[in-house]
Amino acid sequence: MTDTNHLDALRTEIRNWLAANAPQGWRDIAEHKAFAESQRQWFLKLVDAGYAIPHWPAEWPGGGRSLAEQKVIYEELAAADTPRLLLSFVTTYHTASTLMECGTEEQKARHLPAILKGETWCQGFSEPGAGSDLAALKCKAERKGDVYVVNGQKIWSTMAQYADMCMLLVRTSTENAKQAGITFLLMDMKAPGVTVRPINQIQGDEEYCEIFLDNVEVPVSQRVGEEGEGWAVTQATLSAERGLTLMELSYRMRGNLHRFAEMIGSSGRAEDAGIVRDFGQLVTRCDAACAVADQFLQNRMNGIERVGDASIVKNTYSRVLREYSLFGIRLGGMDEQYRKPITFGDLNTGNWMADFMNSYAWTIAAGSEEVQRNIIAERMLEMPREPKGWVA
Amino acid sequence: MIDLSELRDSAQKAFPADKLVPERDAAWALAAEMGWLMIELPEDQGGLGLGRDAAATIHYELGKALSSAPLIPAMLALRAIFEAEHFADKESWIERICGGEYVPLNMLPGKLETAADGSLSGKVSGYFDADMASHLLVGAAGTYLLVPADAAGVQLEEKRLWDESRRLFDLHLDSYAPDPMLSVAEGVAGAPLHDSIARSAHLFVAADSLGGATAGLDLTVDYLKMRKQFDRPLAMFQALKHRCADLKSQIVSAEALLWSRAASAETVSVTALGAMKGYATDSYRIVTEDMIQLHGGIGLTEEHPCHLFMKRAMLNLQLCGPLDHWREMAGREALELTSV
Repeated sequence: MTDTNHLDALRTEIRNWLAANAPQGWRDIAEHKAFAESQRQWFLKLVDAGYAIPHWPAEWPGGGRSLAEQKVIYEELAAADTPRLLLSFVTTYHTASTLMECGTEEQKARHLPAILKGETWCQGFSEPGAGSDLAALKCKAERKGDVYVVNGQKIWSTMAQYADMCMLLVRTSTENAKQAGITFLLMDMKAPGVTVRPINQIQGDEEYCEIFLDNVEVPVSQRVGEEGEGWAVTQATLSAERGLTLMELSYRMRGNLHRFAEMIGSSGRAEDAGIVRDFGQLVTRCDAACAVADQFLQNRMNGIERVGDASIVKNTYSRVLREYSLFGIRLGGMDEQYRKPITFGDLNTGNWMADFMNSYAWTIAAGSEEVQRNIIAERMLEMPREPKGWVA
Repeated sequence: MIDLSELRDSAQKAFPADKLVPERDAAWALAAEMGWLMIELPEDQGGLGLGRDAAATIHYELGKALSSAPLIPAMLALRAIFEAEHFADKESWIERICGGEYVPLNMLPGKLETAADGSLSGKVSGYFDADMASHLLVGAAGTYLLVPADAAGVQLEEKRLWDESRRLFDLHLDSYAPDPMLSVAEGVAGAPLHDSIARSAHLFVAADSLGGATAGLDLTVDYLKMRKQFDRPLAMFQALKHRCADLKSQIVSAEALLWSRAASAETVSVTALGAMKGYATDSYRIVTEDMIQLHGGIGLTEEHPCHLFMKRAMLNLQLCGPLDHWREMAGREALELTSV
């Protein structure tokens, strides 16, 4: 059987499965907690069907899929307009790859099977004073016997209010380079001293949380890597997912272009050449975002990845996403200024003001647009870094 | 079978990007000698039988060097001839063109009127380097007709361009009596030809543009690394770095679209290719606009090549239908496809 035939067969198989199993009505869920529960159920259903963890090794049910197969799965999940796997994303990618690459046998045995039964993880990396400059983090952990005692604050933890566990970066030393004093811990979110506060976002969502840590005890056995070597572990965590999400999001964005066509048609502006041109420009921009995400994955399949490529994919998608929502606001006119219920967990909902505000998640989170520009300029175009040592 | 990287390497060797705007006649002779005219020609007709993407790979490299050799209009004319179904003298014409005889197709519209006696009058624009053409292929209103440059009633008028890397001519016909032996395609036969030629034209102009944009950004980044002000290289300033990063993203996304469309050039709509061409040429414009600004004063002079890139980008925006046209076409197509 040729490779193409094999992928086509997989595509048909998933398409048939989705026709019977894709969740309905998820866009209408009004309560965030109910949304989280629907996400959990959808993830477990995908686990059972063997589509939830295609990127895991082959010993796991549904694992061992090639990148080409993974791409097919995500293309079909996008085409069937299923909810994105928001709740389990960090868990199945970042936690899993961290544990698989750097975890102890005990940690793997305890958590990896639990993840497939619904154990959910969040990321405790960013802090109020450590955003783009993550290594400046201050959350302090002191070793006392068999435990670390942790004090500090974390922020921008996606879906932390529903998480069972947290990948936590703490400072165990203030000597030497700031990267050198960072340690990576696995923290139980139900441990005494952990307080989670969802952040009210400007469009009314509560996808991100603050985490306050007040004398929280984390067993030393729940440390990943050696003390002070957490920065290296973090790099494994952050490189867990390379390109599939942006491919999926770009396809979802393009797949929702019909919303504009409906608005243009129903408002009688199909003969307004200015509107039609701007729509055409947006269509081509969406096509370019899909093409650049596809190319990134195709290159990866061929073993090619230049530094900076991922930054270009992200900046391209996030800019088009902004323009996309702005075009909706423009087409909708005054209608868009009246509040409408938001859809959780989706970036192309047709509630254009909400989509516009949500689009900042992609120009700010996961390495801001500006940080990505630095990466492209300094590491791809080899333009020199600015001198260090600025003192206020 | 030649692969694309071999073609790319040989094009880079023949037309190195540091020798901008090579002398035209020598460049044309070299392009013909390299056999590039025959890339798309089917193997049973003596060509290499490669796809449009292979030809686009060459045009991308020639675009980097701001090539003055009019390979694009020659390849478009050649395609019209080898795809024509009822053109009797096809084989000898293919041989002549592949041997280096220059026969361009117009890359801008024309308007011709046919008199009662069958003679043609009017103007067709967009012939590159017509001064060295033996014949001109007129593509207008579905008809493809070879016109000898020296025939009675045929006049060529060079219209001086801002773009100094290329020369452009109008063809004036004044009661020109067409030679039936030189009719490549007529009436309905012309429509599928036009469609096929348009596919190549968009890919080639886009490839030329993105090759140029890449070379332009490379020169700009090199300049910023070399030029010092305030005791440091300009390339150290984040404000300038971020602009270069955005230009790089613009080029990479446009290139991704170009090569994905090139790979499906036989199946996607002509509008999808035209819209891609619009995006690529506009990316070229964006890069060269900033190229001058980031070079500062030197960018405003004729001593520095910035202006050559900018002028070529502006002309490319107009070839084969301007940006507004293709944006509107893409919008209309998406309205039809997505509103049920």
